[in-house]
Amino acid sequence: MTRNFLAGFAYLLLAPVIGALLAGVDRRITARMQGRRGPPILQPVYDLLKLMHKESIGARRTGHFFVLGHLVFMMAAGFEFFFGGDLLIVIFAFALSSIFLVLGAYAAHSPFSHIGAERELLQMMAAEPILLLTAMGFYIANGSFRVEEISASPVPALLWLPGIFAALAFILTIKLRKSPFDLATSHHAHQEIVKGLTTEFSGLSLAIIEVTHWYETIMLLGIFYLFLAPYPAAAVLLVAVVYLLEILLDNTSARMKWQWAMKSSWTTASLLGAINLIVVYYWLGVQP
Amino acid sequence: MSFLKRSPWIVHYDGASCNGCDIEVLACLTPRYDVERFGVVNTGNPKHADILLITGYINEQSQPVVKAIYEQMPEPRVVVAVGICATSGGIFRECYNTKGGVDSTIPVDVYVPGCAARPESIIDGVVKAIAVLEEKHLAMKKARAAS
Amino acid sequence: MGERTVIPFGPQHPVLPEPIHIDLVVEDEHVVEAIPSFGFIHRGLEKLVEKKDFHEFTYVAERVCGICSYIHGMGYCQAVETVMNIQIPPRAKWLRTFWCELSRAHSHLLWAGLLADAFGFENLFMQCWRIRETVLDVIEETTGGRVIFGSAKIGGVRRDVDNDTLKRCAVKIASAAAEFEELKKVFRDDYSVKQRLCGIGMLSRDDAWTLGAVGPTLRGSGVRTDTRLEGYAAYNELKIEPIVETACDSYARCMVRMHEVTQSFDLIQEIAARTPEGPVFEKPSGYPNGEYFARLEQPRGEVIYYVKGNGTKNLSRFRVRTPTFANIPPLLHMLQGCELADVGLIVLTIDPCISCAER
Repeated sequence: MTRNFLAGFAYLLLAPVIGALLAGVDRRITARMQGRRGPPILQPVYDLLKLMHKESIGARRTGHFFVLGHLVFMMAAGFEFFFGGDLLIVIFAFALSSIFLVLGAYAAHSPFSHIGAERELLQMMAAEPILLLTAMGFYIANGSFRVEEISASPVPALLWLPGIFAALAFILTIKLRKSPFDLATSHHAHQEIVKGLTTEFSGLSLAIIEVTHWYETIMLLGIFYLFLAPYPAAAVLLVAVVYLLEILLDNTSARMKWQWAMKSSWTTASLLGAINLIVVYYWLGVQP
Repeated sequence: MSFLKRSPWIVHYDGASCNGCDIEVLACLTPRYDVERFGVVNTGNPKHADILLITGYINEQSQPVVKAIYEQMPEPRVVVAVGICATSGGIFRECYNTKGGVDSTIPVDVYVPGCAARPESIIDGVVKAIAVLEEKHLAMKKARAAS
Repeated sequence: MGERTVIPFGPQHPVLPEPIHIDLVVEDEHVVEAIPSFGFIHRGLEKLVEKKDFHEFTYVAERVCGICSYIHGMGYCQAVETVMNIQIPPRAKWLRTFWCELSRAHSHLLWAGLLADAFGFENLFMQCWRIRETVLDVIEETTGGRVIFGSAKIGGVRRDVDNDTLKRCAVKIASAAAEFEELKKVFRDDYSVKQRLCGIGMLSRDDAWTLGAVGPTLRGSGVRTDTRLEGYAAYNELKIEPIVETACDSYARCMVRMHEVTQSFDLIQEIAARTPEGPVFEKPSGYPNGEYFARLEQPRGEVIYYVKGNGTKNLSRFRVRTPTFANIPPLLHMLQGCELADVGLIVLTIDPCISCAER
């Protein structure tokens, strides 16, 4: 139990640090792919500290509250995950966290953030089924929703759930806000709705959103780790490869529209995820 | 220590210029000049920006827009007038539809000369603007401590 | 039916660096109506002709727009030269053509980058602008400026470029052209790019013609037209085949410009090899008296300059009809009924130069 608490608190303390470094490396690699030198690795940290020094302007105070909710529920989801708790609770807390951000965007009277919020909801609709399928897959493979027990299983889940793994990798792009799925808001504000979801946030609120995004990234990568949990070194390598592929995809595709995002992710979910699930269900059913 | 100087985010507005300076501002972001080395990001959103780059002079129509962008920026903020038109009106000074340089509308901290301003001078201007940003930040801190 | 919302596009907007304001009336993400408003960049420089000497005005004309700056300066010179009955030396003509094509290549590459940025392909934006820098190097080597050349002059060109430099430039352009071919493949074949461009912003041949579209916008709708065929400067000695696409969508307009860059690169190399020896400037005497319409092909389409002189050092009237000005009605037509996500992209497919349009 103490170990579980330690892991949970380690996540709360270390996730922003690792997330920031990862974001720094991401920006550096992206820049190199584009033929540029790129910013220092610590750039995301500088950005964050600067934002904290800036004036925070917002027409309504409710926006700040929602952003705080966004952070708190994300931390709760991540804590639960690294604590070894129930995967379903993790997913619900995670969804709630995203809802808070959407509410925050709706709190401002700006057409850009409203459209951004609408798109964020659509993206959640696109991503959520696969997250649930993942939890179900782990349950079928290991007989438990508890992360603790899944990671203790001697057989890597990847063996049973390659389809679900691929589907999850697909929606990781949505959650990381990378092309082709950076519809709601993107890392570079060069779209028709300016910065979409985060257009109306500034200063501290924006800093909190940024930190939450790092928590989110680390937790999602944690789920990927779970697929190869029995072999820690291989699992870390897998996570690194997945993240590199995300960067590569970001740099080799255009931003798609929401129709395409919905269609493609639901097709992926049903094809890769559901078929995988059914096959595993019967396979394991036959061999008790 | 303030991190403002390590992460200046810019927003760019084309007052009434010939585009010459604007494309040079954009050229600063691209592989040859790559200002992201210094943490500069073109945010395109005044609410996230620290530095406002304005090219071209101000006319009747653009005056309220420039004011609005300036007012949307959170403190501390710095304005850089890019190119000779933004400084004084330049070649268009004698046109009937001019209000003068950017300083006719909002306070300007750094002037970048040139027609069109070269990317090197724009980067130089941004670096000078970062120093001003730092000063303003300290002044803000002092004012907050005093009150 | 969804609730109607008005989404402002510009004047300060990350997709389009220039100030144009369009009120987009949207239902969900469907654009019902696009209402433009202009004047953010109107300078009234045509009236400046009354204050500036007609030689000096060349430099003002060049600042109609900083992207196709050289062609503006040259078009003005061409109009005044015709009024004054000046025959410029052949070498000057060839050099002018050389710079015209460099302008076109750099403008199209710039545009391609902005388009890529508008559909969220940041890497492609960077690559386009990286190649563009090579073109700008050549421009800088031959004129001294990067975007404003300042080398057109009534009676010829301001400075000569020696043949060695021209040859060196041709080599540089050849290397840029090779890199560009790689880039073109992405625009032509990439799945996500085609998803965003094909079938978006339809402008039928008839609509394009009746609404008065010009340049690549018109050629992308299947009309074979190119003012370079008129044979101004040295174009009468070069073989030019207008690039026409018939798909009428954003992809077609994109491909027209892509092929035009290749064409320009070829022309630049041909010009560098064929430019004849001789003087580059003939001093004009007297003042312009009379009027003339000059037509040229800008990167964005046909541009028309009207000059009227009255025998004094100041012209009495100067007027420009820029291509963007002509392309705005087709643009508004295309915006009706499009998706919000496509607005930035469709606006860019006419290659808007608001600075030109409002002068």
